[in-house]
Amino acid sequence: MSGGSDAAIVARVLDGDVEAFALLVARYRDRYARYAYHMLGNREDAEEALQDAFTRAYRSLARCEDPERFAAWLFRILINRCRTAGARRGRRARTFVADEVAVLEAAEDHPADRAAWREEIGRALAQLRVEQREAFLMKYVEELGYDEMSRVTGVGVSALKMRVMRACERLRGLLTEVQNA
Amino acid sequence: MRDGDNESIEQVADELRGTVPVSAGFDARVMRAVRAMPRHVRRVSFWSRLTTPRTLVVTPWSWGLVAASVLVLAGLGVVQLSEALHAAAGPAATALFSKASKPATQRVQFVLVAPDAKKVAVVGDFNGWDASHAAYQAKHRGGGVWSVTAPIPVGHHRYSFVVDDSLWVADPTAPRAPDNDFGLPNSAIVVEADK
Amino acid sequence: MVVGLAAREAGAQDPRLVSRLDKPTEAAVTAIVDSARAAKLPTAPLVDKALEGAAAGSDGPRIVGAVRNLAARMATAKHVLGSRATADEIKAAAGSMDFGVTARDLARLHTAAGTRSLTMPLAVLTDLLGRGVALATATNLVDQLTRAGIKDSELSLFQRDVRVDIEHGADPAVAATTRGHGLLLKHSRSPARPAE
Repeated sequence: MSGGSDAAIVARVLDGDVEAFALLVARYRDRYARYAYHMLGNREDAEEALQDAFTRAYRSLARCEDPERFAAWLFRILINRCRTAGARRGRRARTFVADEVAVLEAAEDHPADRAAWREEIGRALAQLRVEQREAFLMKYVEELGYDEMSRVTGVGVSALKMRVMRACERLRGLLTEVQNA
Repeated sequence: MRDGDNESIEQVADELRGTVPVSAGFDARVMRAVRAMPRHVRRVSFWSRLTTPRTLVVTPWSWGLVAASVLVLAGLGVVQLSEALHAAAGPAATALFSKASKPATQRVQFVLVAPDAKKVAVVGDFNGWDASHAAYQAKHRGGGVWSVTAPIPVGHHRYSFVVDDSLWVADPTAPRAPDNDFGLPNSAIVVEADK
Repeated sequence: MVVGLAAREAGAQDPRLVSRLDKPTEAAVTAIVDSARAAKLPTAPLVDKALEGAAAGSDGPRIVGAVRNLAARMATAKHVLGSRATADEIKAAAGSMDFGVTARDLARLHTAAGTRSLTMPLAVLTDLLGRGVALATATNLVDQLTRAGIKDSELSLFQRDVRVDIEHGADPAVAATTRGHGLLLKHSRSPARPAE
């Protein structure tokens, strides 16, 4: 790892080495861009949330209790930023995402090709409740363990498992319908 | 708890695990923003932390000023007394208004199980959502159980826990309140007067 | 600071807003608060909303938008619930509207309530909606419970039971209606039930 451990870089930044922060940005931006993109559904919002998360992380870096776990701490900030961004769009987007029929009718061809399949997944994801989408992405895409998920979200493990299960059920249902259409 | 038919979900997850590249210049934008902020300097003294306007915090000593200023306004008759009370609500301020009607409070216990937390505070519309308010800092009782008992005015309130100054957590045992305004979890509590 | 405040005009700045918001945001929020006061709406919730936004680290326009929305919802709530509605009822009603409860739903609930306070029924309704119960199901259910005169303490227990059921895997709507019907049944059997 170039730059050393997260804790070492955090220490440098706290000692006044601003430029060292760029190492952390480079280290985590792709991983968390993915999460933000799937949570929010579009690139602009995702990048805005991610940039916001990084700047907030910088600003409150002195409050990072355990610099060894900077990644989880940053992720938590990002989760909150995505929630805020999602809530802002919530009212506008709600009428669209609630309409399952629209999803089915929009699938014009059998989604054999990758791009269409991706779009269907995106639409199905958008129909999950926020907390279910969060839990699903953390478990299956970011591949966190339930204990880690619990630490990062503050939600109990059994509740998280419930959310993941519900999310899987819903996704399976939505995507099966699309494939069978 | 099994997820059932995993294969289709694995396919979905596989698709989603692909890299989502950020636009060119992302890093540069972040660093530009970061450079414009105050540089970190280690070993910030307690006093400068108190006076640096970085975080918007109503520190305990300023409650006295708030209460005093509200008294002045009330004296000038420009503010409804009951609203002045509400604006200055807090243990210190309430004590000053012994003559006027003050909102009745009840001692309410807040409990959160958070085994990995280092700090838990209660924020809500009864303390200006201030995570550093002294009366609302939970204590760790052992085994990951955090609790604090604080005076809460009778009536309907929204609140949340703030863990480690960074994570807002709704009270899992309380009714949920909407979080659409700022996206952060909220709970509701209705405090009743003694009958 | 005290002198500065004394010099300001009637109905002017809350010092907490001044210390925690930037100038333009504080001015916009204060203007909304002033209008609300003139319309005899509770103003403390508006100040609290702004402080919540500041604590959440939101930007100015977002805070102003949230305060403005709350003022509008409280105005609707007060209009529906009438001049005798308490600040708590208005607050709780505004919160429920955030989850989609309409003025018509509120009016129905208001009729169902008679003279009892709507604060707890509204809080329970909001919670059910927040846990995923559909709007029509939740409003009908809370309407029935309110109409039946179920006490606040029992409503609180009902909310807790539904929450626990959902945590154990129950579908939210099923849990809510099942527990709700159980509560209504129990109430209809009670010899102390007041005459309709």
